Amino acid sequence: MDIMDIAVAGVIFIGAVYILYRSIWKKKGHCSGCNGCCSKTKDKFLL
Amino acid sequence: MKTITVAIAGNPNSGKSTLINAIAGTNLQVGNWPGVTVEKKTATLKIDDLIINLVDLPGTYSLSPYTQEEVIARDFLVREKPDLIIDVVDSTNLERNLYLTVQLLELGIPIILALNIYDEAKKKGYEFDIEKLQELLGIRVIPTVATKKEGIKEILNAIKDFAYGFYNITPKKINYGEDIESSIKAIEENLKVTNPLLLSKYPSRWLALKLIEGDELVMKEVDLIGDETFLQEAKSHLFKSHDEDIESMLADIRYGIANGVTRDVLKKKDGKRVDFTEKIDRIVLNRYLGIPIFLFAMWFVFKFAFDFSAPFSDWIDTTISGPVTKWTFHALTVVGSPQWVISLLTEGVIAGVGAVLVFIPVIAVMMFIITLLEGSGYMARVAFVMDRLMHSIGLHGKSFIPMLLGFGCNVPSIYATRVLETERDRKLTALLVPLMSCGARLPVYVIFIGAFFSDHAPTVLWSLYVLGIFMAIALGFILKKTLYKGFAPVFIMELPPYRVPVFRDLMIHTWQKLKHFVIKAGTYIFAVSVIMWFLLNTPYGVEKENSALGRIGKTISPVFEPLGFGTWEASSSLVAGLIAKEVVVSTMAQIYVKEEVEEEKEGVDKEKGFIDDLKDAFLSFGFAIRDAIENLISGFGIKSLSANEEEEQRPLKSKLQGIFTPLTAYAFLAFVLLYWPCVVVGIAMKQEFGSWKLYGQALVIHSLLAWFVAFAIYQGGRILGF
Repeated sequence: MDIMDIAVAGVIFIGAVYILYRSIWKKKGHCSGCNGCCSKTKDKFLL
Repeated sequence: MKTITVAIAGNPNSGKSTLINAIAGTNLQVGNWPGVTVEKKTATLKIDDLIINLVDLPGTYSLSPYTQEEVIARDFLVREKPDLIIDVVDSTNLERNLYLTVQLLELGIPIILALNIYDEAKKKGYEFDIEKLQELLGIRVIPTVATKKEGIKEILNAIKDFAYGFYNITPKKINYGEDIESSIKAIEENLKVTNPLLLSKYPSRWLALKLIEGDELVMKEVDLIGDETFLQEAKSHLFKSHDEDIESMLADIRYGIANGVTRDVLKKKDGKRVDFTEKIDRIVLNRYLGIPIFLFAMWFVFKFAFDFSAPFSDWIDTTISGPVTKWTFHALTVVGSPQWVISLLTEGVIAGVGAVLVFIPVIAVMMFIITLLEGSGYMARVAFVMDRLMHSIGLHGKSFIPMLLGFGCNVPSIYATRVLETERDRKLTALLVPLMSCGARLPVYVIFIGAFFSDHAPTVLWSLYVLGIFMAIALGFILKKTLYKGFAPVFIMELPPYRVPVFRDLMIHTWQKLKHFVIKAGTYIFAVSVIMWFLLNTPYGVEKENSALGRIGKTISPVFEPLGFGTWEASSSLVAGLIAKEVVVSTMAQIYVKEEVEEEKEGVDKEKGFIDDLKDAFLSFGFAIRDAIENLISGFGIKSLSANEEEEQRPLKSKLQGIFTPLTAYAFLAFVLLYWPCVVVGIAMKQEFGSWKLYGQALVIHSLLAWFVAFAIYQGGRILGF
């Protein structure tokens, strides 16, 4: 592995750590049923 | 563009979430048991130039401040002052539901009453005088069957008519009798002079009633301590006249009104017809048969899940470890990727994520059956049946509802503890929830059971789930005597009628549960696989045993020596499982994947081309469908996992067979079942209880419990000669 490889590997590693942090901490493990707000807008024209 | 806010209120299990899903096309969680909605949820709907903000409130029986759901619902109605309330009423149980309606009328907000589950009431022979009900309460009444989307168009038209002023709804004031009415008036008059600001914030009649009742939350909120002269005068006058607790007196009047209205508007057919629900409940809720039936139902679920999903899991495994790995390697080699990139993708990402994806079919089938049981009303019976056992640990059957939810994922179960009344109950239940075997543990069970117990797969899996429930009860018993002393309140729970769940809802909610695992595989299982690959290859080029992960594993492996699995591979996989339980399998797959990939690399030149592999994948998927159906039909799964014995073994399975014995494998599975809850459960505990203390307790208690149970299984098994 040369310097370039080590740099790319470092970026990939930091990226993986960030995805892990984001998924676990910010997204609460992508838990279904834990998010209080399920906002959705839908157009209804036929009435 | 006009905007109105419509709150959907109603008793638990009256079909509020189903109604809002039918109106707005959302996918809010529904289940045939009380307490599915513990937070308010919103959906926005646009009809022509009218924007309707629908707010789904938690199900409550009243607006008193005793449970968190009641406080959430009440706070929203009082503070946010929605323009309109849709009160969803279970028409098979009108009188009880009208108690809440009477309290909603006190708020003075216009109400549309959705007389839901109308079809079942009709089947029971109930006849409603809808005109009279409208007239008596001063509200609009619309019969609905939310599951069949009947009455939805009428509700939407009614909202529209109300919004544009084509139809006025003026709720009637409930007359509480001369004494109370004069006290209400006196308080309102007094507040007008002393606290005019309060009356602009709260509905005046409602506020006066709450002050008479001595509602602590309202007193605190409006900054009164209860000894104000005008309040004391009103209260003592009432007490002198009636010699009764005012809160109970008001409750009696409300019940009386609900009863009177019901008698006026509802006619029931005579005769004591024993309905379908009662017939089933006589068996399912039987004092002696209830728990055995529940245990058998669980066994049946596992057998079905294994038999149906095994061919699909095999197909995914063969495809990922075969063509996907082979052609990724080939493609990367052709473009001249460095060796470490090839290794990262094939031995890290594909092996790690693939090892978890293999178990998606079994998780899907399990989630489908759990959703089916929830929707049918059986899960509510399980809570009822478990009440006596739960009392032995100082909790009641209601605590079993979050625990049952834990079979899907432990994280929402922690939030579901909000349905419990006391902080002690909530904390104790949250500590026991992680002992319920969540879907994330299934991949670990399935791979080990397939390798060591394929002839008795459903029974071994069933034994692990039962072990989890048993250990929860045992741990609860110990905690009740030590850290969480207290008595169990009496358990009153509504048992909903059995219903055949709507297939569309069933599929939507199965997908919602399954989606969680698929997203996990694509995000943090992926991220962990990358991190684990780095730990397994640092320093680059050394044997895995001497890598960073290998060294960590070797350092802690002596702890697991007395449990029969003191290898660095098992130890490091268990530590990685702190992130998520599936990671135990993905880490093991990475550790043991080396030889397999080497074989695939050699195979690139000799074996079939890409198109042939693609054809094979399609063909073998067809065979998987055929095998799954055959498994179900031919002797109900005689083939099951053992059917694959003559076929090619999964590489990870055969590796495990060389390292573990059936005894150490079972001890390992028991350890995975009971050991520390994953970090996401910890975050949920922190959010719900405000500190990391409870998660800290869970980490220590569960780890010790897991160690001692695995120790007892391994050492006990050795003494018995296994």
